[in-house]
Amino acid sequence: MTFRDIPDLALADLDRDGAIREAVDRLERSSRSGFLSAAAGGMAAAMALGRPTPAAAALTRGDSAILNYALTLEYLQDAFYTEAERKGALAGPAARLTRVVGAVERAHVKALREVLGRKAVKRPFFDFRGVTEDPPSFVRTAVAFEDLGTAAYKGQAHRIESREVLAAAVGIHSVEARHAAWIRYIAGSAPAAEAFDEGTTKAETLRLVRATGFVVARPRTTVAKTPSFTG
Amino acid sequence: MRAPRRTRLIGAAALILAAITAAFVSVAIGGDDDDDPPASEADAAAAPALAEPPDPAFEIPPPVELGGSTHESTWAPVKRAATARSAPRLRSGAVGRLAPRTPEGTTNIVLVLDRAKDADGSLWLRVRLPVLPNNTTGWVPRSALGGYGIVRTQLVVDLGDRRATLFRNGKVVFQAVAGVGTARFPTPRGRFYVRNKLTRYRDPFYGPVAFGTSARSATLTDWPAGGFVSIHGTNRPDLLPGAVSHGCIRLPNEAIVRLARLLPIGTPLTIKA
Repeated sequence: MTFRDIPDLALADLDRDGAIREAVDRLERSSRSGFLSAAAGGMAAAMALGRPTPAAAALTRGDSAILNYALTLEYLQDAFYTEAERKGALAGPAARLTRVVGAVERAHVKALREVLGRKAVKRPFFDFRGVTEDPPSFVRTAVAFEDLGTAAYKGQAHRIESREVLAAAVGIHSVEARHAAWIRYIAGSAPAAEAFDEGTTKAETLRLVRATGFVVARPRTTVAKTPSFTG
Repeated sequence: MRAPRRTRLIGAAALILAAITAAFVSVAIGGDDDDDPPASEADAAAAPALAEPPDPAFEIPPPVELGGSTHESTWAPVKRAATARSAPRLRSGAVGRLAPRTPEGTTNIVLVLDRAKDADGSLWLRVRLPVLPNNTTGWVPRSALGGYGIVRTQLVVDLGDRRATLFRNGKVVFQAVAGVGTARFPTPRGRFYVRNKLTRYRDPFYGPVAFGTSARSATLTDWPAGGFVSIHGTNRPDLLPGAVSHGCIRLPNEAIVRLARLLPIGTPLTIKA
């Protein structure tokens, strides 16, 4: 099973917080503006967003957008494995993979948030609808997530301006590929059946992510209203 | 003389042909790398130099373990109206109803306590319910609830000491004196949770912030919006601590403002004697 097997849904229904939309919008804006020099990009970002970290200030606008896009996908994977580990419904190889891969995805999130500083997109709210508590559904979805994560990094590699950012992204990409092979093995699929892997564009990735329905509006629990409690 | 010379020419031609054939066959089947002469230092020096790989722009830390979950609690929003049942089966008796919205208009949430599958393999969750009698729990289909939220906090209100204490990861991070219900309108005891936060209103009676909870007054059942118990500020701090309310938990305004920065929605609430 891959993401291509999941039916499409409307973005408005799935991303009411706008976190994914925000990441993709930044990516699109950076594409329209073309390449900026590292210094000019860093200064523009600093002026627009206050006080980013020193590492974030050195990022070009395009690289910053790509890293935020990556962060959004890492949020998705982090939340998925973390919830599965917390719920404890998995056993055997899937449970072991969840502990190991979840810890790695949390490290990816931590690294990307630190390098982006205040430019980092916010964490979306997820509703995995019981998938993390049902072993067969979990394995199928994990295969799809890891295949997508690997393809998404590859799809942006040619657009990364800084060699240093590319070096870091490639380091994450190969780890995602290892995860993909591991979960495919657990699922009974060929871990490495193809001689060449295609990347996915941001539009395709966005379509596949929203098709899952896992990204939802954050529950509204605060309101400006006069209380009518017992007092 | 002519015959031997022709013989020598034919022999030479044969040798040349054999050499060409051998060379052709060697190229055609490919040479063995092991037979290639080793590259000399001069050859290596003449080869184009490869740049050193750049240092990554940022470092990836070691894997981040999840850690213990001793102090974690899970809540979930109500996605659709549902009947809570006494057991994880559709035919079990109803113990309460869940609506997607609270009387205040916020998303209704429940505290998740347990999980089970029914005979059909459908997932059910046991949740704490905002219904009377207080402390009621019931089973609802997983599909009626949304994504999970996690908190690491716990709020304890001691009716005897008239004090509210907030714990985070098991450690005290907040304490304040409290006003609690009178003997006629007692604050209910038991296990509840914080389910919403009301702000930016202009009623000094409730102070600047009010937290709605799942606890309900057992005596003020006809109170507007169902008689839910709240944790809020006050315009009469001189009465605190004391048994002065209709069941709500009143805190000094500076304390409720401080609590508003520390208390996430979904936090379990224990009210004890």
